[in-house]
Amino acid sequence: MPTSVPAAPAVLVARDVVKRWGTTTALAGATVEIPKGVTGLLGANGAGKTTLLGMALGLSRPDTGTIEVLGLDPTTSGPEVRAKIGYSPEHHSLPPDTKAFDLVAHLAEIHGLPRRDATSRASDALFQVGLGEERLRPIGTLSTGQRQRVKLAAALAHDPELLLLDEPTDGLDPMQRDDMLSLIRRIGTDFGIDVILSSHLLDEVERVCDSAVILGEGRVLASGSLSSLKAGIGGWVVEVDGGGDELAGVLRQGGARVEADGRHLVVEDVAGPAPITTAIADLGLGLIRLEKRRLSLEDVVLDGMGR
Amino acid sequence: MSDARIIDRGYRVYDGVRRGPRGATQSLIKHTAQRVLGLRRPTRAKILPILTAAIAYVPAIVFVGVAALVNDTQVRTNVLPTYGAYYGFIASALVIFATFVAPEALCPDRRTGLFGLYLASPLTRDTYLIAKAAAVSGLLAIATLGPPVLLLVANVLQGIGPDGPGEVALLAIRVLAAGSVIALYYTALSLAVASMTDRRAVASAGILLLLLVTAAVSGTLVEGVGLPDWVYVFNLNVIPFELAFRIYGEPGNLPQLSTAALAVAVPAWTVAGAIVVWTRYRRLRVVR
Repeated sequence: MPTSVPAAPAVLVARDVVKRWGTTTALAGATVEIPKGVTGLLGANGAGKTTLLGMALGLSRPDTGTIEVLGLDPTTSGPEVRAKIGYSPEHHSLPPDTKAFDLVAHLAEIHGLPRRDATSRASDALFQVGLGEERLRPIGTLSTGQRQRVKLAAALAHDPELLLLDEPTDGLDPMQRDDMLSLIRRIGTDFGIDVILSSHLLDEVERVCDSAVILGEGRVLASGSLSSLKAGIGGWVVEVDGGGDELAGVLRQGGARVEADGRHLVVEDVAGPAPITTAIADLGLGLIRLEKRRLSLEDVVLDGMGR
Repeated sequence: MSDARIIDRGYRVYDGVRRGPRGATQSLIKHTAQRVLGLRRPTRAKILPILTAAIAYVPAIVFVGVAALVNDTQVRTNVLPTYGAYYGFIASALVIFATFVAPEALCPDRRTGLFGLYLASPLTRDTYLIAKAAAVSGLLAIATLGPPVLLLVANVLQGIGPDGPGEVALLAIRVLAAGSVIALYYTALSLAVASMTDRRAVASAGILLLLLVTAAVSGTLVEGVGLPDWVYVFNLNVIPFELAFRIYGEPGNLPQLSTAALAVAVPAWTVAGAIVVWTRYRRLRVVR
């Protein structure tokens, strides 16, 4: 007898969340469910990413709406929620005269681990993020890439259920960035920790995330698995040997959405390629190329922004 | 036989004890106390805490020695200070600690972004401040309670202390009350100013200025302009020690200032300092 598998609970659920800072509206009715796995939180500066992360940590309350993290309300159960979360902030400033190991062990203790466990796990976490001898150096002597790793180790050491990473590749050179992204992917897969990765870089979200939430001007423009997001805006790429404008006109009359650039057209909202080939034949145009549009996350973001 | 070993350094899930917000607060108290004392920090960070301890305890040790070596009651009475007067010997230690050492408890956390990391833990703004205040006042109490307790114990052992268990208990309560009042007063004063800036040097200058300016202005207003004596309650430099005299039943250096005024003013300044810190941290935006 087949049994139904219950859907995995979302790690973060926000419903109609509005948050204003003075006259600025940071979130304007955001509704989203972030599933387990590695999720990218995408958006330009001011899109509301950091505000959403702050609310997930229980550091600010929604003006209206509700938010739930790991099944708890962070506005009323902040300490309990934060005990289960590892957080790596965007800024790089850490105590310069403190050794990396001491900081990570201290923050593990602050997250509730007894001293002995905190020191043991700090050592492990620093090893996992690739810091060896550097762990015994004052943080002030470490490079930006090493500091990013220290922040990640500090977020990992207490074995959180959910990791919130705010721009974790900021300030890294291409090779360090590559390593960091691989590490984040490994945390989500091998370590079994759910990750919310806040970033304004599409390619890194595309590379390490299972799903994405796209924020713009305080609203959720799109969310879901990367494959479903890309499938949501399909369409066809058409190249003809002339008469692109006429073809666009005919297709628009049939209800399609068409972007024409000379001989090149992007056609959406059509039921397969047949209406396109029919229109080309009726107009007597020569068809050079007709293929399904291959989308990047950038296309999804731009589509979400209505561009 | 090979000595090779396979060491599993894979990620391990933690299923041990988690101590929650209470454990977080205790850890922060311990860490703050260590940091303020300069432990696990460069040698220069240890100089002022050691100097403070030396100034606070050396007079007490000397007086205990004098009491042990000198049998002449007349000489003892002339040389040895009263319990209330002992704070005059250690006032500089307390001012050094409150001015130059205690701001270390708050300022670097904001400057280095550590405050934001603390707020991403089970700590709240309130438990963070409670931990910081507990660490600073606990260290100050070592200076304000330790030496009088040492004097009390030595005097009792040498048979020159108060007579009978009742008198000893009463003096012990006075030691506890005076030491606690002074420790809490300087904690509130120091943290209130430190909450205004993330630069420790600026905080130190601010505290020093506050102590000097209030002393100068209140003195001028009473002695120069002729305002009433109660204006001395604005002399933040002397009022905790004056209250300590009264707690021990001694007249102090400003007998014209009423005990009632001191009993209101010192707790009021302490509470005012605490409110300043609390309000400041309520509104503080976290760097993330």
